[in-house]
Parts: sequence; structure tokens; C-alpha cells
Amino acid sequence: MKPFLFSLCLFFFFGCEKATEYNSSPRDNFEALWRIMDENYCFFTFKDIDWDDVHDRYDLLVSDTMNQYELFDILGKMLAEVKDGHTNLISSFDMSRYWTWYEAYPANFYKEIQDRYLGTDYKIAGGMKYKRLADDKIGYVYYGSFSSGVGENNLDYVFAHFKDCKGLIFDVRDNGGGSLLYSDRIASRFLEERILTGYTQYKKGNGHDDFTEPNPVYLSPSDRIPWLRPVIVLTNRHSYSATNDFVNVMRLLPQVTIMGDRTGGGSGLPFSSELPNGWSVRFSACPVLDVNKQHTEFGIDPDIAVAMTEEDILKGRDTILEAAIEQLLAKSDSAEAESFMVGINPDAGIRVALQKEPDEPYGKKNPNSLIE
Amino acid sequence: MKSFLLLFLFLSFPLMAQSGEEETPRSVNESTLVGLGRYNLRDTYLSPSTDIRYTGWVVQVLNERMKIVRLADYHVSRQQLIHVEFGSTRNGAGTANEYAGFVDYSLGYHYRFPQVQPGLKVLTGASARLSGGFIYNTRNSNNPVSGKADFDLNLSAMAIYHFTVEGFPLTLRYQAEIPFAGVLFSVHKGEPYYFLTQGSKEGLVRFSSFHNKFAMRNYFTLDVPVSAFTIRIGYLNSMYRTDVNRIKTHVLSNSFMIGFVKEFVSFGGKRLKKEGQGYRSAYY
Repeated sequence: MKPFLFSLCLFFFFGCEKATEYNSSPRDNFEALWRIMDENYCFFTFKDIDWDDVHDRYDLLVSDTMNQYELFDILGKMLAEVKDGHTNLISSFDMSRYWTWYEAYPANFYKEIQDRYLGTDYKIAGGMKYKRLADDKIGYVYYGSFSSGVGENNLDYVFAHFKDCKGLIFDVRDNGGGSLLYSDRIASRFLEERILTGYTQYKKGNGHDDFTEPNPVYLSPSDRIPWLRPVIVLTNRHSYSATNDFVNVMRLLPQVTIMGDRTGGGSGLPFSSELPNGWSVRFSACPVLDVNKQHTEFGIDPDIAVAMTEEDILKGRDTILEAAIEQLLAKSDSAEAESFMVGINPDAGIRVALQKEPDEPYGKKNPNSLIE
Repeated sequence: MKSFLLLFLFLSFPLMAQSGEEETPRSVNESTLVGLGRYNLRDTYLSPSTDIRYTGWVVQVLNERMKIVRLADYHVSRQQLIHVEFGSTRNGAGTANEYAGFVDYSLGYHYRFPQVQPGLKVLTGASARLSGGFIYNTRNSNNPVSGKADFDLNLSAMAIYHFTVEGFPLTLRYQAEIPFAGVLFSVHKGEPYYFLTQGSKEGLVRFSSFHNKFAMRNYFTLDVPVSAFTIRIGYLNSMYRTDVNRIKTHVLSNSFMIGFVKEFVSFGGKRLKKEGQGYRSAYY
């Protein structure tokens, strides 16, 4: 009994483990960074990285006398070994990064060229620039960051603006990601029914493969204005993180075509920690798997690969956007021809949902009207 | 909850018969104190694998009500505490901030032992506490907040000592509370809160006791009558340590408190008319 009480007293007053105090020692910070990654980074096995070997190689480069800039440079290079755009070391004077996933590839998006299509009379709603193109037959939305808030009303107005369009181009080129909330909110407008979109995991232990069982993730259709006509999502190598997740959902839908270049990937939800010297470290911590339980960390291939040609770039022509317009117009023509043959109006169901101009308070549509 | 507490009290102390009519009105002792002190935070959900200490200031507000109740022949008093705290802290390097806020309510019953010494009251009992709060790290990505929600059953003891210094009456009190069982909410190490919206709910509520939680409150007060008021000066030490779902949390505060105490008889409804001759109301 006495030892138990003694232990209890010790726990009460001294039982808490010692905290990590401020420490600028290069070696201690190197070890802390290596351990943070070792215990929390989620793609070691998937990327076949020998993290112990990384430790041994970089340990030789760290000395007690090096200054903070030299240390930052070495630690930044160590993090780049995991080839991950979500992994950064952040100090007050610099941020290390690995951006080769888009820097080493053709841009396939030029704002100056996009401006020729948008002109100056485009509309902006919740971070989305939108305009009707091709004689008002095609709706075009450019969403440049999933960090820009998109509200349900924003989406209602955008879709209402395109109510007479035959198809929609949703351009997420150069969208480096942001909030999954907006990814889900937008994607839910294109659903007819609840679907499985993928799986999530997190690390339950410190081992490289100590993951929880994949947890299925579902997305339900929005109860606001939907868009079930043809959609083309434009992507490039800079479509990353939450954008990759958006594409991962959109590619599951029958009316959606992904066009452009492979996305940049970035399927690990990043967590943060910090070093004893106050530098912050961000790293991929939780893998988001696709419906086949596969990683999309290295990107998602488009359904139709299209690259901007040198000739078009010189002419100020967006090869990918032009291809999308052409594809949607062709689809629209074939759908009209088909409906003429069988005597139905292909737009009928959508028009029921779109015929009312959104206004505050905007009445919720009857979900059944979609299939009328 | 109240029934459980009473049962706990009755099991702990000899049950005494209730007397008949109450003779002396039972007054309420109420105080509201504000405090300022040092804050010390650590949370391994917010700094995985390094457990960085954040220190800074905390402001606290504590409202306390005590009243003798009928139980055990008026040998039991009820204590209600409403406590709010908010703190701002910074890491040792001065490169990041953490903010924390907690709110709790506790209801306790104490058995009042007959005076063992003139001027000294000794009370022991139990309380139930419901608390919630957060620790927020301003620069984190998908782990910016560590949310806390606890329900605890506490052991509580108090000593109140009335004495005079050169004829000046003072009242000193020490109270200690330790939770011995309860439940608490915690996500798992490495689990984003975003996953909770996707149906991941396993193991979020855990039984807590000394194996995974040690919390304690030490509360010292001194009541000083000044003119028509009574000023209460206090020192509040609070420790909260948990190790749940592989997340270690440590919230420590030491605050000096100051406020006013009032002793009043609370009556309303029918008692208002019954006691009608004994007061002059500005309202009734």
C-alpha cells in the first residue's frame, strides 16, 4: 500500500513529463524535426523512403557551431526528401518547400490569356470568377483558391446566371487548395445521390504504418440548386491539395469530365508541430484515399489530357479552355439531336430547379423536381 | 446528479436525523472574484512529438454561492461555483501564440463537522463539475484547436477559520478539490476534427480517473471587512493534466483573485409574504 501511495504522490506533484523548453541547439532541433516526421508523417511506406537513412545522412551535416540560416537550409533539404508539397519548415525568415510537383511541369495556365476570355465584365461571387462564353452557351467558372470562401448563395447565383447554358466549365487550374469544406460544398451541387467519395485514415501510433482502418467518406447532394448538365473540370499540375480532393470527387460523376494536365496531388491532410527553437513544421499526417483505397498523393490523371501549345500561347489562346468549349458544344448538339429523336427535352429537369431567380430568402428546391 | 452526490455524502458520513422546523434563516454567502495570474499550457495534439510549453497570462472570474441545506440536520452545506478563465500564452521562442478558454460549473455538498476548535470549521464532501474549453494555436494547419469537455465527480475538503487581529475580524479559507472519476471528450492523436464530421466517433468519450487524469484546485481566500463591505482576497491554483487517446494536455494556472462577498437571505414566492414584516423592498 505504501509504495502505491508514494507513487500516487509522485504522480500528483512530479508525474508530468518534462516539457520541451526553448532550445536553439542545431543538433537538438535536427533530432526534434527528424522525430516529429518519423512519428507523424504518413507517406513513408507509400513513397518508399528510408527515414533512418535520411537521419544518418543529414546528421553528418549538422554541427553545433552552424548558424540558424545554415541549419534551416539543411533541415529544409531534409524535409524535401519526402517530396511533399504539404511539408514545410517555417521560420521568421524563410519557408522551406518542395514545389517540384508543379514547377517542373508546363504551366498550362496563364492569367494573361485567361483575361482575354474573362474580359472585364465577368462577375465575382465568393472567390469564383464567372462568365458566359461561346455565345452564352457555356458557363465558365474560375475558382483560384479553396481558401476563398464560397457560400451556398454564391453558388445559387452562379448557377442561376448559367440557367440557359448547355454546359459548365469549372476551372481549378493553379488552385493550390484550401478548405475541404468548400470542396465538398461545391461538389455536392453536382450530385444526384449520396456517393462514396473515398476513405480517410490517421496514424494511431508512431510506427510508419500504424494507421487506423480506412473510414469511408460519403458526400450527399446539396438541397440547393444542383447542376446536372455536362461539366468539364480543368486541371493542371498546380491543382493541389483540396483541389485534388475536389477532382477526386468530381471524376466519379457521370456528367463530369476532367480535362487538362494531371493534378499536383497532395492527398495528405497536413498537421503542424514545432521545434524547440520556435520554427514551425507542417507535414502530411492523414491520407485521404480514393474510392479504390489508393493514394492520390502524386495526382489524378485527367479523362482527356490536353496541353497548351506553344502556338496557342503565342496567339493568346487557351488550348485547354477551347477544347473544353468544343467538347461541351459537341455534347450539347448530340444531346439535342438525341432528344429530338426520342421526343424529350434534355434540360427539362434542370430548368425546374433553375427557373426561380435566387433571392434572399431563397426557397429550397424540391429535391424531387430534379427527376421530373 | 444531485441524488448521486447525496448518496455519496450519506455513505461517507454518519447520517443524522432531520430536525423539525428550521428556526434561524439560512443565509447565502455569495462572492464574485476576478483574478489575474500566470498560465502554463502544453498539449501534444497541438505540438505532436515535441510537447512545447506555452506560458502567459490568464484572467479568471469565479462566482461562488454557499448555503446550509436541510440535509443531515443542517450539517450539510451546498456550494455552487461558476468559473470562467481565458488566457493568452506564447512559446519560449516567442514565435507562436496559444489562447485558451474554459468554463465550468460545479455543484458540491459538504458535511460540516462540529467545531473541532473555536473559530474553525471543517467541511468535507463531494462535488460534480461540468467543464468545457479549448486551446487554440494560431499557426497550426489541421490541428489548430484542442477541444476539452469534462464531467467529473470530485472529492472536496474545506477549512474555514475565523480569527481576529487586534480586534479586526478576518476569515481564512482553504479548499481543495480533486476529481476521482468522470468522463471526458478527446479526439485521438493525429485525428483532425474534420474527420468527426465524416462519422469518425469511436473512442471520443473516455472514462477518466487517476490513471489518465489528474486535476486539482487549491483555493485560498481571506475575507476582510471594510466599512459596509467585505472584500475577499484569494489565490487560486489549478492543475489539469490528462493523458487520453495518446494526447497529453497540461493546463496550469496560478492567480490572485479579488472581489466582494455578500451574505444575504434569499426568499421569494410565498415566503416573500410570510417574511413580509422583516424587510423593506424597493419593488414589492
